[in-house]
Amino acid sequence: MATSQLKAEQAVRSFVARVKPETRELALDTPLYADGVGLDSLETAELSAVLEDELGTDPFTSDAMPQTLGDILTFYGTVAAEA
Amino acid sequence: MIELLRRVAAEDPARAAIITHDDTVTYGSLVESAERVATALRRDGIARFAVADHEAATVVASLAGAAAAGAEACQYPPAEPEEIGELVTRFNHDRLVTTRDDLGELGAQVVRPDDWTNAAPPTAPAEQPTPTPRPHLVLTTGTTGAPRGVRHDWDRLLRSTARIKPGPGERWLLAYGLHQFAGLQILLHVFAAGATLVAPAPRRPLEGLLAMRELGVTHASATPTYWRFLLAELRSDGGPVPQLQQVTLGGEAIPGPLLGQLESTFPEAGIAQVYAASEFGSSGSMRDGRAGLAIEVLERGADADVAMKIVDGELWIRSRTGMLGYYGEPPVDADGWRATGDMVEIDGDRILFRGRSSEIINVGGVKVHPLPIEERVSAVAGVDMARVYGRPNPMTGAIVALEVVAAPGVDRDAVDAAIRAACADLPAAARPRNIRFVDSVTTAGSKIVRRTTGEQ
Repeated sequence: MATSQLKAEQAVRSFVARVKPETRELALDTPLYADGVGLDSLETAELSAVLEDELGTDPFTSDAMPQTLGDILTFYGTVAAEA
Repeated sequence: MIELLRRVAAEDPARAAIITHDDTVTYGSLVESAERVATALRRDGIARFAVADHEAATVVASLAGAAAAGAEACQYPPAEPEEIGELVTRFNHDRLVTTRDDLGELGAQVVRPDDWTNAAPPTAPAEQPTPTPRPHLVLTTGTTGAPRGVRHDWDRLLRSTARIKPGPGERWLLAYGLHQFAGLQILLHVFAAGATLVAPAPRRPLEGLLAMRELGVTHASATPTYWRFLLAELRSDGGPVPQLQQVTLGGEAIPGPLLGQLESTFPEAGIAQVYAASEFGSSGSMRDGRAGLAIEVLERGADADVAMKIVDGELWIRSRTGMLGYYGEPPVDADGWRATGDMVEIDGDRILFRGRSSEIINVGGVKVHPLPIEERVSAVAGVDMARVYGRPNPMTGAIVALEVVAAPGVDRDAVDAAIRAACADLPAAARPRNIRFVDSVTTAGSKIVRRTTGEQ
């Protein structure tokens, strides 16, 4: 796993632990919204800012909005491969 | 302004007009310098000039001399040569008063202050009729684009000084730049009262606090942001608290907790607020120590120099003591109403300021005012200063972002958690979604800059 992916995973898990402490499990395929983690639009906006601050880029500005932690890590894996 | 100086000089020429750490300038010598400037302006046929010097006595002599001669003076902000050159071009100034050596290639003839104050003998004022008109040009800060020139007339500006009571023993701190309209207001107030101006340089809170302690400041007028910095300086250095008799705030909305902090820090001081702007001049002051304006200001009637009304949550003003118009644009109607850009709410018998219309953060279509959030965050233990602004965001257009200056030695994680807890019951769109700890917050003209970052 690329360094950026490790940082992204740590940032997402830390964020979810703060804003959704009731979350029991955050697997790579757990949906971030609705019946999954349950992030609303403002919490998602906050997560995008966290990731931009941590990694300099933000998967929510890409064409395909990430639905899971796995999607976010895939985005940063692609960014790392293109760098 | 020249007539204010002449009046005091005639009574008591040896009274101190301007004090710095290095010098004291009396009313008598200040009037003599101003009259010499006026004589030189008449002799050389100079109708307009700019000042790029910031020593208070030089600026006052230049401005008062211009008022005596009917020439239009314009005080520039402190700036690098490139920016000064842009101002020279934009406002078509062909003479520049300065002691600087790096402004000689900007297309304006450089005049040393001594060229005017030494070369021409003073002319007895009685021999010179009062010129008409007597213009003065004030530049806006230009934080929302290129600076604009706001055209004033000394006779209009002086109308608001008629109600100022004599205060020969008062020592007023100059906490504003003299290029700012608020700085000009301080000059008019001090000289109308026959008081003394204390002018430290630079005009930052640290130097202001030093001047309060060492130069006997009794009265001080500054922005809420300046006062918040000054209180933070006081807390951190642990030195003696200045014995102020008057604390005045203006220039931006006042966070609620600040008034209480100032009252407890300066228990002997009266607390006043002024509401003024380059365009509409001064609307008077509130001296009851409460935030906002008394609702009675909305009932001043058609005869008042300054009247106010609220339109869609924004304060509007009609001012007969305000500007003539913008430089290069047609005159404005003195009886016309103008939007101030200040968003307000009526709360009981007060009009409370909620921030500038340009500072409103649009979070997914929800309009969020930054000031109430700043007030809440500023009240959290361990927070010295807070700035709320809009941060662009791909999901919601913008989110509420927060910069925090933490008190020395505090646990930032604990302060972060306390801020989030303090904001937990705000509407979801108004909760800070991004908190950064910084050494200082962004200011312009001693005011916090709150516009969305993408607009700066």
